[in-house]
Amino acid sequence: MADVPAGRLPKPQMRGLLISHLKKHSAIALVFAMGVTLAYKFAVADPRKRNYEEFYKNYDVKREFEAMKEAGVFHSARPSWESSDD
Amino acid sequence: MLFFPWPVVCAQRNASGGGVMSDEEFDSRWVEFFSKQDIDDWELRKGVNTLIGYDLVPEPRIIVAILQACRRLNDSASAIRVLEVIKAKGGPRAAEIYPYILQEIQPTLDELGIKTPEQLGLDKY
Repeated sequence: MADVPAGRLPKPQMRGLLISHLKKHSAIALVFAMGVTLAYKFAVADPRKRNYEEFYKNYDVKREFEAMKEAGVFHSARPSWESSDD
Repeated sequence: MLFFPWPVVCAQRNASGGGVMSDEEFDSRWVEFFSKQDIDDWELRKGVNTLIGYDLVPEPRIIVAILQACRRLNDSASAIRVLEVIKAKGGPRAAEIYPYILQEIQPTLDELGIKTPEQLGLDKY
């Protein structure tokens, strides 16, 4: 802001360059990190939670067990269409 | 007489814990340090290395005092190296800061016959 004689360079900022750089870029980094977090929440976490909720809303474990049993996947609960050995 | 000034990086506090030091006082203490007539090589190196650890580009008058000390010690290599280091301290803003510094210390460079690294082609790899 001081008057500079013609042709002379004005005095630039010479102190605190690092700290001002760090402050500015820390703020940018914080905003960016928060943005990424929110994007992950809306794009990944929340849909995943909704999918689980949807899946278990009308989940009947007995029905599912019967279906698995009939498919023959269990060792000790054999399907109804399989004859016993003895 | 202080061994060397103790001001700290961010807020320049006295070692005695007496509060924040002003920029002028900080600069004056460093000029005083380098102006010691019988400064030795170690003190010069120690002073410059300490000074460039701070978050600032040294004021032209401190640089003048350093160059005068180099003259007393017949150390032309350090004088040129100090100029390189001052440019490095400007970081991303060196293009703005370094020409200003050179402008301010040109009388001393002429008086002591110090060439800049650029004039010697030392800035090209």
